[in-house]
Amino acid sequence: MDTLLTQILNSLFYASILFLIASGLSLVYGVMRIVNMAHGNLYAIGAYVAAWTIGLASTELHVSLLFVLLVTGALAAALAGALIEPAFLRPLYRRAEEYQLLMTFGLLLVLEDVMRLLWGPHPLTASALSDALGSISVLGATYPAYNIFVIVIGALAAVGLGAFVYRTRFGVMLRATSQDMRMASALGINVKRVYVQAFTLGCLMAGLGGAVVMPISGAVLGMGVDALILAFVVVVIGGLGSLEGALVGALIVGFVRTLGITYFAEVELAVLYLIAAVVLFVRPAGLFGRA
Amino acid sequence: MAEEVSRRDFLNRIGVTIGAVGASAGSLVLPSPAHAQAPMPPKGTIPDKPYKTGHMTFFTGPAAVLGEQSYKGHILAAEEINAQGGLLGKRKIETVKADEAAGTDANVKELRRMKLSENIDCFTGVISSGNTPALGPVAEELKCLTVFTDGCTDFLFEKAVPNPHYVFRLTNIQSADGVMAAIAATQAWPKITKIAHIHPDYSYGRNAFDHFNIAMKKLSGNIQVVSEAWPKLGTTEFTAHITKTVSAKPDLLFCSVWGGDYVALYKQALKYDLFKKMKVATTLAFGVAPHALGKDHPEGIVAGVHANYHFMYPGGNKWPLNTQFVKKFYDRWKEYPNFEAEGAYTALYMLKLAIEKANHLAGGWPDDDAIIAMLEGLMYAGPSGYNYIRPDNHQGYKDAITGFAMQSPDYPFPVHDPKRVITVPIRSITAPPGYPKGEPTTTYKWIDETWPRVV
Repeated sequence: MDTLLTQILNSLFYASILFLIASGLSLVYGVMRIVNMAHGNLYAIGAYVAAWTIGLASTELHVSLLFVLLVTGALAAALAGALIEPAFLRPLYRRAEEYQLLMTFGLLLVLEDVMRLLWGPHPLTASALSDALGSISVLGATYPAYNIFVIVIGALAAVGLGAFVYRTRFGVMLRATSQDMRMASALGINVKRVYVQAFTLGCLMAGLGGAVVMPISGAVLGMGVDALILAFVVVVIGGLGSLEGALVGALIVGFVRTLGITYFAEVELAVLYLIAAVVLFVRPAGLFGRA
Repeated sequence: MAEEVSRRDFLNRIGVTIGAVGASAGSLVLPSPAHAQAPMPPKGTIPDKPYKTGHMTFFTGPAAVLGEQSYKGHILAAEEINAQGGLLGKRKIETVKADEAAGTDANVKELRRMKLSENIDCFTGVISSGNTPALGPVAEELKCLTVFTDGCTDFLFEKAVPNPHYVFRLTNIQSADGVMAAIAATQAWPKITKIAHIHPDYSYGRNAFDHFNIAMKKLSGNIQVVSEAWPKLGTTEFTAHITKTVSAKPDLLFCSVWGGDYVALYKQALKYDLFKKMKVATTLAFGVAPHALGKDHPEGIVAGVHANYHFMYPGGNKWPLNTQFVKKFYDRWKEYPNFEAEGAYTALYMLKLAIEKANHLAGGWPDDDAIIAMLEGLMYAGPSGYNYIRPDNHQGYKDAITGFAMQSPDYPFPVHDPKRVITVPIRSITAPPGYPKGEPTTTYKWIDETWPRVV
């Protein structure tokens, strides 16, 4: 019983991180029709910046204030996004998709090297946050309290993002642009501005994901590429461009990975790709995708 | 039918030595004598062209906390040799470095590039067992003198390069890792029967799993594997693996996760109280650079060092070569060396010794074949002890070592408990020359067929 509960929490924890990454990837694709390969390293930037600021401040500030500093990771990734879209992506919208893929993949590699240049080759950690919360007892099982914090952040992000897209004026503009960019433009929506805002929001989510996972896993070179691959599995299952898809996909991957580790230890990774393959076979656009 | 003996008799018979390292750590008194091997004056005319080495190790990613020290050990040795004028007093060592994190295919291309366009004289380094079996055959094809300093899979010289000419490898063979963990675990906790495993899902993890199990079968009789987890190499998120392990309620967790992966694993496992719920034995907990581990690291676990080297052993003034090395390394890099640093340092000095011996016989700068003939069968006293290169398979051997973690006030990181260091003569745990090859490794087959079963 306690094991079951712990594994459910583990799955939700993993799904929360995946949702934060995949929702941004999906949002950007939904609005702009860009498959942003650089997304993984915007997630990594969130982790590095949060580790860096928390590391600098850890001796000065009380630990509760260090939690607030997690936001710096999200903001740094958002800032990077706000610069990348107008500078590197805008000139390519009228070109074939291959150019965008090449550009964003190039950015992925460049960002990796920028992080290496700024923070060096070694992992950065700031485990003070997860240490501060310690462990709690859930029905007799010991569970890290910080992981529950991450689950809460993931749930809040899902609710917040959903409300933002479906309940606000900006959300209406966003959805209008995603359905028909020319028509939205003809109706007076400033599409350029919507694009940069959508891209920034996507990066903010990724940065937040990187920041909250950092106290547990650290900030490591290569984490962006690993996360990107998993985020693609999520959006392939859920449907590229759909927020509901990102949420359901993240939950499926989170739970299936835990099941895989528990019952099919030898094929832990293959199980995920197998699910993605089955979804592609049955519903090529993903569970919530618009074909 | 295998004979039966008591465990204590058996451990005595294979020469397991436990404990008393000597003077306590922290007292790094330098003995006066310089390096052991006195240099012989070079014969003939030696060119002053630099001797180019290519050194490959992990400079980025989670593996860098283990691998980067390999480069530091190599550079320290090169600087010392160059300060004396270089190899044979003339040829300064120049090093081209490469990041192993580029991936196996890219690493093979990099070796070709180093040999063909940088014209390196010797290739050294390499950490991962996934890479040496790919690089070895290419080094033979390029006729590139190669001294791997890790990537220690048994597979390399049993299958990938069964008749090596240009390729050598120092640091103990991999099967020793799993066997040493089993010896330490059964010696410390004789009653364990239920075993859980967490290993990286590639050749190293598989090798550790196999050899630990076969050694445990002999040392402990009826063991039972109650849980297995195989995370991808480079994983830093282990929550589900930890929960699975804890829920299986094992007596012992055996774990070969290494580098930054291990650092993430132990920190996460602490939050699940894993170390309070079971005994733990590892192959590489202390494989990382010593300062990569924190004061929160659990005490009492078997903290493996790849069965190779920990900077506190031999301690005190028991083995001055180690005392000197640790001090020099600390003075140069402001950190303590791990086994990769010692391996790369010793590799360059063994190469130097082979070159000097070859020069002594024939004069002038020796060609690669002469250096190779000298490396084969070379015995060298280095910081870790006596290192011997077997002529039949070009593999370096030294006595295997492991220990138990403790927190000491003398260091800001965990170290081996000096009273409980375990050493075993390497011949006791590795298949000897001429033993018929077997699956999955010759050592596995040799243990299975020749070790008695304890009762």
